[in-house]
Amino acid sequence: MRKSKIMHQFAGMGMLVLCGLLGQTVSAQEEPIVLRVCSWEEYIDLGEWDADEAIELDNGTVIFGEKPLYKDFEDWYRETYGKTVRVEYSCFGTNEDLYNQLNMGDSYDLVCPSEYMIMKLIAEDRLIPYSDNFFDKQNANNYYIQNVSPYIQKTLESNEIQGEAWSKYAAGYMWGITGVLYNPALVTEEEASTWEIFGNPKFNRQITLKDNVRDSYFAALGILKKDELTDEAFIQSADYSERLADVMNDVRPETITQAQELLNQLMDNVYSLETDSGKADMITGKIVANYQWSGDAVYAMDQADQDDFELRFAVPKESTNLWFDGWVMLKNGIREDADRQHAAEAFVNFLSRTDSAVRNMYYIGYTSSIAGNAQDDTVYEYLKWCYGADGEEEELMEYPVGYFFSGEKNDERYILQSSADQMGRQLYSQHPPLDVMDRTAIMRYFDADANKAINQMWINVRCFDIDDVPMGVWMALLAALLFIISIGFRKSRRR
Amino acid sequence: MNKFRFQRSQLCIPYGLFLVCFVLAPLVVIIYYAFTNGEGKFTFENLTGFFSSPNTIGTLVYSLGIAVSTTCTCLLLAYPIAYILARSKMKHKSVVLMVFVMPMWINFTLRITALKEILTVIEGNLAYHPFLNTLIGMTYDFLPFMILPIYTTLLKLDNSLLEAAADLGADAVQTFLKVTFPLSVPGIISGIVMVFLPSMTNYVVLDMLYNSTYIMGSLIGAYFSAYDWHNGSMIALILLVIILLFTLFTNRYADEDAGNSRGGVLGS
Repeated sequence: MRKSKIMHQFAGMGMLVLCGLLGQTVSAQEEPIVLRVCSWEEYIDLGEWDADEAIELDNGTVIFGEKPLYKDFEDWYRETYGKTVRVEYSCFGTNEDLYNQLNMGDSYDLVCPSEYMIMKLIAEDRLIPYSDNFFDKQNANNYYIQNVSPYIQKTLESNEIQGEAWSKYAAGYMWGITGVLYNPALVTEEEASTWEIFGNPKFNRQITLKDNVRDSYFAALGILKKDELTDEAFIQSADYSERLADVMNDVRPETITQAQELLNQLMDNVYSLETDSGKADMITGKIVANYQWSGDAVYAMDQADQDDFELRFAVPKESTNLWFDGWVMLKNGIREDADRQHAAEAFVNFLSRTDSAVRNMYYIGYTSSIAGNAQDDTVYEYLKWCYGADGEEEELMEYPVGYFFSGEKNDERYILQSSADQMGRQLYSQHPPLDVMDRTAIMRYFDADANKAINQMWINVRCFDIDDVPMGVWMALLAALLFIISIGFRKSRRR
Repeated sequence: MNKFRFQRSQLCIPYGLFLVCFVLAPLVVIIYYAFTNGEGKFTFENLTGFFSSPNTIGTLVYSLGIAVSTTCTCLLLAYPIAYILARSKMKHKSVVLMVFVMPMWINFTLRITALKEILTVIEGNLAYHPFLNTLIGMTYDFLPFMILPIYTTLLKLDNSLLEAAADLGADAVQTFLKVTFPLSVPGIISGIVMVFLPSMTNYVVLDMLYNSTYIMGSLIGAYFSAYDWHNGSMIALILLVIILLFTLFTNRYADEDAGNSRGGVLGS
């Protein structure tokens, strides 16, 4: 509709002016290809490492971030393809913000939203599929298809929306799971390994939930469907994964109503809802457990370790949410410009180089979807560099991560010798063991009606219930009102 | 050919432009969204929806509750301070006043973070008293806005009026009730306006002090992030109307008591 479009553009005007100011000038002779990339804040290595930060891996590779990765990409593109590309890199705060920006008329070529937003964009036919060349393993510059973890790629291929596999449109970037970060001095592993901890009266007002509807709804489903999810017959069933995904994506009206009641109860038990403050509050001891994303859990554990304070990460036994962010190309940005699409695909490929992946993992703390391959084991070497142990000081454990690196569960090349203490710690959060991965469920994109219902449910949970007002307060308010009115009357009578 | 002649009124042009771009235009957009639905058709549903849902009404009540209690607390704390300060014969009044206003110079988030830690030490667990914490946070944040206007009006108070009252046989209490207080009402009103309105929407304080209940500001945000521009805009519009009514009401008071010492009410 014409009218509403103008409105959208009008609202987006301020944003556009800002973007214009941020654009940089270029001194290249030929007209450069401009690639507009939009990603999460702090989601790419910006370089400027200190000299002693260089990572020397056992396979001889030295990883060092000097310039921002997207600047390195510009150099690499010029050397490899002989063309100049200029990356305009900007950031968004939440998936919803990005979506709103796109609706207001901002155009980007390449963005990195989460799985459910990717689904939404595919469903709305806003994305361009990657070209056939992108998936050609013979081309040496196609780092993505050579290096992507088979586990991630399989997940992308096996998930479909409207009959189209996600892998056609999305290239995995970072991934993780959700769980409970807890203080082992006060909370046992068993207590933390269930979503029910958020309703556990033992930790009344000492746990935090996430301040967003999708994560909180997932936890609520985990509690509501506990009996079904932990039923041995259900777990052993042949189509366990599909059934699990269906259960954790249940958005029937009656389920939403139940979730609302449950979340209302949880709200009376938790300390608060948070998105960012939970990590610091764990360390200062305000709370003893919090709902956490695996990457942030690693960050919090690292921080706590510096203060000689132990935090651990547990994954609820019912189910956990497998999430990932992926690069997708936007129709209204690329606009059938072959050069630009080539640059966009090359950008994804460059980020999928194993050294780029390691730089990003080191800088961001999340787990990259890039695993490397039989010839290039840099990513696995980095994992060894981080968590490998020789058993001189600590008890050892064998930690198989073959499912991620080669797609084979017990691949002997990928059995990490690590300290036994890493179970439930950083390694466990960053590369969860296979039994944890087996109970992951992807949270899908809900259709418009379900989305509206679930958002309304969340608003209902968060809003103040008018029945909660004590009688005394009503009386006081009434008295105050009468008082003000009487003053008003006296004033006007005096006139 | 007329030569261009500079007129004083032309100085208003920059502000006029600003007003059109950043006040009027967004307002038009808000009104447009508030009275349309997802398909772009005109509707009153958003308006009726707001007043028929116990949640939105609850949020309105909660916001008003916070705003009223913050304003009252600020007034109770600020008036004595302003009075003592303005009436005292102290040499360095401005220095003492500065002490009260100084918190305003420190970044707002920083102040609330510090307050959070202090409250944690006092209360132990902040989660048990979300409303009280919010009240303290808001009061801490807005107190200077209440002290300053009251102080200014009291400072300008003509001493001869008080002397006249004393000559006519009024004791201290009577003088205060019949002379000082009525004359300071304009200052009180501008203080109330400056505290009441922002405390209805300042949800950052709630977020930072772990109060998870929505107030009007956060409710608008919640609708916007759920791509529901229409209901969000309607709430913004309702808030605007409340503010407008409130301002008209207080202006009436201020006009009645108008003297030269008006504390500058947020008008129009």
